[in-house]
Amino acid sequence: MLMPSTDVAAPTATSAHEAAQRAGLLIPPLWPLASSVAVNPYLGHVSESLATAAARLGRVAGVRCTMPRTWYAERIDTGDISDADLAAALRASPTTMATSTVAQLKAIATISVAAPVALPSVAELATECSGIDWSGIVAARISHWAAGYFDQGQALWSAPQERGAYDAWRAVASLDLTPEIDGLKGFSTLVARLPETAERTIEECVSRLGLPDSALESYFHRLLISLGGWSQMARYRQWQAELGGGSDSTLIDLLAIRLAWEGALQCQYASAIQACWHDAMEAYAEPLTPTGDDLVDTILQEAYERGEQRKLAALMAGGSETRSSARAALQMAFCIDVRSEVFRRALEHVDGSIQTIGVAGFFLVGVAHRRFASDVVEPRLPVLLRPHLKSCSGEADAASARHDHDVRIGRRATRAWGRFKLAAISSFAFVEATGPIYITKLMRDGLGLRRSVNDSDPKPQILPAFDLPARVDLAASALRAMSLTGDFARLVVLAGHGADVVNNPHASALHCGACGGNAGDVNARLMAALLNDHEVRIGLAARSIVIPEDTLFVAALHHTTTDAVTLYESDYASATHGQDIAQAKHWLRVAGSLARDERMRRLPGATTAADVFRRARDWSEVRPEWALAGCQSFIVAPRQLTATRDLGGRAFLHDYDWRKDQGFGVLEMILTAPVVVASWISLQYYGSTVAPELFGAGNKLLHNVTGGIGVVEGNGGLLRAGLPWQSVHDGERLVHQPQRLSVLVDAPRQAISDILDRHDGLRTLFEHRWMHLFALDDHGRMAWRYAGKLGWQSTPEARTSEPASKAALA
Amino acid sequence: MSLYLLPLAAPLPLLLVAVLCAFRAGIRPRWIPKLAEASALLALLLSLLALVLLIARGPGDSDLIGVNGVGLSARLDAVSATMLMLVSFVGWIVVRYTRTYLDGESRQGAFTGWLCAALAAVLLLVGAGNLIQLVVAWIATSFALRRLLLFYGQRDAAQRAARKKLLFSSLGAVALVLAIVLLIAGYESTDIATINAAARAGQSPTLITLAAAALALAAMLKSAQFPTHGWLTEVMEAPTPVSALLHAGVINGGGFLLIRFADVMVLAPGVLAVLAMVGGLTAIFAALVMLTQPAVKTSLAWSTVAQMGFMTLQCGLALFPLALLHIVAHSLYKAHAFLASGGAVEQVMSTRRPGPVAVPDGAAVGRAFLLALFIYAVIGTSFGLVFGLQHESPQALALGAILIFGVAYLLAQGMADAAPRTLTRRTALFSAAAAIGYFSLQVAAGWLTAGTLPATPAPDRLAWTLMVLAILSFGSVAVAQALLPLWADHPAARGLRVHLSNGFYVNAALDRMLGSRSVRKAS
Repeated sequence: MLMPSTDVAAPTATSAHEAAQRAGLLIPPLWPLASSVAVNPYLGHVSESLATAAARLGRVAGVRCTMPRTWYAERIDTGDISDADLAAALRASPTTMATSTVAQLKAIATISVAAPVALPSVAELATECSGIDWSGIVAARISHWAAGYFDQGQALWSAPQERGAYDAWRAVASLDLTPEIDGLKGFSTLVARLPETAERTIEECVSRLGLPDSALESYFHRLLISLGGWSQMARYRQWQAELGGGSDSTLIDLLAIRLAWEGALQCQYASAIQACWHDAMEAYAEPLTPTGDDLVDTILQEAYERGEQRKLAALMAGGSETRSSARAALQMAFCIDVRSEVFRRALEHVDGSIQTIGVAGFFLVGVAHRRFASDVVEPRLPVLLRPHLKSCSGEADAASARHDHDVRIGRRATRAWGRFKLAAISSFAFVEATGPIYITKLMRDGLGLRRSVNDSDPKPQILPAFDLPARVDLAASALRAMSLTGDFARLVVLAGHGADVVNNPHASALHCGACGGNAGDVNARLMAALLNDHEVRIGLAARSIVIPEDTLFVAALHHTTTDAVTLYESDYASATHGQDIAQAKHWLRVAGSLARDERMRRLPGATTAADVFRRARDWSEVRPEWALAGCQSFIVAPRQLTATRDLGGRAFLHDYDWRKDQGFGVLEMILTAPVVVASWISLQYYGSTVAPELFGAGNKLLHNVTGGIGVVEGNGGLLRAGLPWQSVHDGERLVHQPQRLSVLVDAPRQAISDILDRHDGLRTLFEHRWMHLFALDDHGRMAWRYAGKLGWQSTPEARTSEPASKAALA
Repeated sequence: MSLYLLPLAAPLPLLLVAVLCAFRAGIRPRWIPKLAEASALLALLLSLLALVLLIARGPGDSDLIGVNGVGLSARLDAVSATMLMLVSFVGWIVVRYTRTYLDGESRQGAFTGWLCAALAAVLLLVGAGNLIQLVVAWIATSFALRRLLLFYGQRDAAQRAARKKLLFSSLGAVALVLAIVLLIAGYESTDIATINAAARAGQSPTLITLAAAALALAAMLKSAQFPTHGWLTEVMEAPTPVSALLHAGVINGGGFLLIRFADVMVLAPGVLAVLAMVGGLTAIFAALVMLTQPAVKTSLAWSTVAQMGFMTLQCGLALFPLALLHIVAHSLYKAHAFLASGGAVEQVMSTRRPGPVAVPDGAAVGRAFLLALFIYAVIGTSFGLVFGLQHESPQALALGAILIFGVAYLLAQGMADAAPRTLTRRTALFSAAAAIGYFSLQVAAGWLTAGTLPATPAPDRLAWTLMVLAILSFGSVAVAQALLPLWADHPAARGLRVHLSNGFYVNAALDRMLGSRSVRKAS
């Protein structure tokens, strides 16, 4: 037998374990669909450049990290990518290139390159030599087990889940006869004889396969990638465990399971594949360097982004508006979500006395929330954070408790009926007794007559209540985060957002990421309650945030699918604000219709407002709304710098006034939290667009919800993470053009640099250009571009208006 | 021209649109999605008119458009009217769903076309007045369905499912052709009504048992009976509307065939016994597999196999009106379940919200079964008194007992010691409602098909044995199901679960046999 070259070190147990850990960190986590949030699929790659990530993912997954060349060539032709953009991108490229002129780059953009091919695993080599689809079989068998193991309650007879993944799998695989029927001799016996622990199995397989130390990480990464969303679900468990200070080994278990298959296939086909396998191991061991094509592709992508930034810069250079000093008639805070931009613009357009504010939609109240009559605790805050407060819907009195009990009994009876419908013998009785009732259900859903279930829970409260100083702290930081510390209007509305859709497994992806993939109503209502609290206001006044007596905070929910807004005015019965609320409702209705008209133009087949409402109720609708598709920029600035500009629903807007931010604590919070969350969203769209086969959830028409946690395509197989194809593509063209987020900050450059200097994780995102960073001048112009290594570069905008940008230098 | 040609009109608009679609096969074909829905709605309207005709004039047959017994003709009676209404209603819902769901697919027009064609073929099948039309429509259904299953033909799993389907539908077609030939030879007519009338009059030509057996075989293959069920659990490889149409329409072809030739079938008690056995086995086997499935559509597909098994069991017990009721009830339920399967995330979550499920112990389950039998006796007797069902056949009573075991499961959940009283009351109420619903529908089905379908013959010894066997096996599964949380952790149960979740490897073996796991050679 061919042995790996002798100059490479044989792996030790520790090195195998470490390589497994490293490979695991390259896998992004996947949140269950009940409350899913956008995840940066390149999370494990942020400390390297896009070109390196492309080289790595090309080798282990066979996917591109950029669009096909023709896509860029088209944009060069149309002028979306100008020569100047290409030149700038070339100059900015960290590596010196063979292709060094714009002309050469343009020529090379017209030459298509084939998609990369992943290095083979043993399963693939076995497929090639035996003609049996082993890679498919391995994926199918592991998926079959994993679907049961991760099931959250779909199967009435659930698979045992109390043991670790590796143990659970061994118990199943040592009985499953399918592999033997498919032609893998003695697999179940082999599984029964595997070591007791996943670690030992990994070591054994590594030595059986003859893998050198240097090949391990790439090879392990390859295997984990081949398990698709299952590895990502395991990585999620690890993420959650580590957030709570614990640890979880599911991902290592999955690797061991996958390796056990590799080992078994190697045993059966050793002689047929040994030459190829030897080559493959050498390829895995090779150091990772981006190819010339990887570099060209990233430069083209950068050039495209520069072109888009050029357009944004032109828009931002329009000059700022001075806010009138009169008291605003209505202040309304929205989530930074790009969908709010459309609505805010519409609302401001309706009446000049309305002031809107952008802030992370959980209003800094991160809670572990229980809905009314529910035992399930939902984290309603960004997934990077751990909830410190608990909340629940409903009052803590006897009447509410009785109501809670009654609702629960009702739901338990419904659940019992549901089990009656699905259980072995009773399902026959169910069908014969109640089948004809489904005529009405088919009619109701077919004609879209079902009212969207807006099951507004009773008013939520924080339980156990926390002490006054902490409440004042929380209120003060929330107001500071909005840069709203004075000039309060009589009515201040805090609006969370949520989507109204039916029959959509990815519904939570349309909700608020800052609220952990839920609608934002609970957080907004909690914050409004806090700010209406008389004691809290006294405490705030002591910190020089004076809220006038006549200011009322009211929570609201912006329905992003329909642009309707629900006000929770009954949370605070106010005799004095009836007029203000009625006026606000009127404005919101008008603004809603304006926003709807604008959004409608992007939706295929929507011609009237009625179409928009229909989509929200239509059970056959796969594109109820475009969510955050198209997102391009994140602007941290006072609204005056962005108001009156049509940002096309593509900008995250966070209000921020650096003059009010002593010590730049608020800026630090914005850059390290909301901006990072937005980068996850932007890169999820990026990944789902450029590599839909790996980072996209596939075709909605084939989705089969598995375990209540995720989707697979068709019969089964790999769990699919990311966005469905229908969420980024309208059938004829992409609605999301892949680009990395441009972050525009109105603050002194030194302050930004200082923050970057303190936060390596954040800085690395900008250094490797997973996001672009700009500093605005006083007029809102994109005057300075972050050039890496804490350096800044003036942009053409700054150079054409030198005197104006002086102020920003201050 | 005969009014009774009306059932033949229903498929025409759909066929027309199907032809149009051939010319507009691509993305967002103008007018096509709307036209398709309009044609489906028109088909529903025509089916309704046929129903009105049936009510006004009674059952009847159209003349044959054709020669020598070969051509188009329609049979309008309770069976065909029910099926026409069912298929065109579900068809309309599915086509309407497709209109939005498929929007933006590159082969949207082609899909719409084949969907309309499949619907038209099923309508031609259920309204058929003669054997030739029946067999042609039968094969056309399979053909159109195959095109739909392979809508994403580049998917390996779609190919695997289609390959299995092709094997069984080819065998089924051969069986049906054989049956048809034997029937024509035996009764010297291609007219279905004539054949049934002759059979009911007791005319039993030689080889009638063979003809019935061939019919039964074709039906079992069409309706995915064990061990030929595999393809059905794999057709989620096509867009959701295909699953809905298949599980709610096409799959009923087998049951329809048995009901359509009920008079012939009762001439062959041996064949009926085989049907009862295969059906019962399929029902129990698939229902158990269903319990282990963690994916919503897969679980629904296994549920269809089980329900088809139950329906076959009903045919085997010569309870044809009940089988027809089952087809209707199941189709409506399953069409909705598939089309609404995107709600599974929310459903799974909502089952977790109200807290843990109270697990009933043995005593509670015992009480539940006793109470269920009591409900059965009370409601059954009162229905008997009101509707004069003293002559209820033993087969129907046996079946009622099986169904009441299901109701017992509902009761048991409310009887767990940990369950609050109000929950117990609520589930008891649901149980009573389910029992009343069942008896009402049973009475209605019997009344509506009286005269059209043969009365259930008195059971012979074999039928008695089968009934006892069915009650015992369904009963023990029901008890086991109710007690599941108490024994599921036993190692033997866990082992059984592994094999069950793989459907006892029938599909794996078939894949191996058909070479479905081999990599397609690059040509």
